[in-house]
Amino acid sequence: MNKERREFIRKTGLGVLAGICASSAFMPAFSLEETVLPAWDEKPVPGKIRWGMLIDTRKCLNECSECVAKCHFVHNVPDFGNRKDEVKWIWKSSYEHVFPTSTQQFRTSDVLQRSFLALCNHCAEAPCTRACPTEATFRRWDGIVSMDYHRCIGCRFCMAACPYGSRSFNWRDPREGIKLASVDYPTREQGVVEKCNFCSDRLVRGLIPACAESCPQKALTFGDLNDPKSDIRVLLESNNTMQRKPELGTKPSVFYII
Amino acid sequence: MRINKTILTIGLPALLMFALLAFFRQSGNAVESPKAPPAPVTVDSTRCIAQTEYMRANHMKVLHEWRNSSVREGNRVYTSPNGSRFQKSLNTCLGCHSTNRLFCFNCHMYANVRPKCWNCHLSPMETP
Repeated sequence: MNKERREFIRKTGLGVLAGICASSAFMPAFSLEETVLPAWDEKPVPGKIRWGMLIDTRKCLNECSECVAKCHFVHNVPDFGNRKDEVKWIWKSSYEHVFPTSTQQFRTSDVLQRSFLALCNHCAEAPCTRACPTEATFRRWDGIVSMDYHRCIGCRFCMAACPYGSRSFNWRDPREGIKLASVDYPTREQGVVEKCNFCSDRLVRGLIPACAESCPQKALTFGDLNDPKSDIRVLLESNNTMQRKPELGTKPSVFYII
Repeated sequence: MRINKTILTIGLPALLMFALLAFFRQSGNAVESPKAPPAPVTVDSTRCIAQTEYMRANHMKVLHEWRNSSVREGNRVYTSPNGSRFQKSLNTCLGCHSTNRLFCFNCHMYANVRPKCWNCHLSPMETP
């Protein structure tokens, strides 16, 4: 009796083992433990995404400034009508102003007559974030160089550090210079620096940046530089592109097709 | 007879195990989380995030914490102790509280406390 019982247990065990072996042979994925991703990522993973923009200057029309108007309306950027108090997030400029250190001589007259869009480059090695003594400006988890206006003390070190002139100081109360206010975004106050935020306010709502959305020529492509299949990476793959002042090693996230 | 019994004792548990694992494998597939990004929490101003007494004493701390974690860490979802989710935004509060235009000002004027919120953000008095 005892012996038979032992035999039975031994054989049953063998059977169980055989069952596991068979199932793992038929379903190869089963031999690996499965990890279930959390349904909700409360905190984003730093460095997973790097937002970038590609500007096709061949499509950009000289007389159009739709993107500038849309951006400045959406973000309540003031306009005082003089250069001294000027605040700008995105603007148009000539070739020699946008690429002043470009060593290439004798560019075609077509290129020299074009207007080029300039905005914050959201550099991977942003000099402004190093200059800021209060960490009011910082590089976010998704590559956007962001500003926390609450912390800005108005020292303007970041303006001196930025090689692209992308930062503006509020010499006056900006609310005086806003003709048509947008209720979706706060204004700034007198005594703080401001700049393009790559529409981080629109990104959380699942929208692309206002400039890229408003462009009638679709000259602006916005996307994730870390994703090899994104539109922007596909375009970067198939075109010759340029960055502003690449020799400074700031690694801008804004690219230009000339 | 003897061989039949052996086959049965080995074969039956093997078959059972196979069926069991196959079943769990399938149900595991069904549980697998979708690859699409989670839907964002919309601004919900129908409920308060905490008791009135707590908010009366600590609203500045809550707003300070919300601002720092959402702006600097990207953690935009607040989960209250009872499990409801809110978007960490001034609009979550003002969506309902701004119906009283003097909501902030009544107390702050009485206590002579002048925070700089409305230098940039739209106050309940300014919202259309």
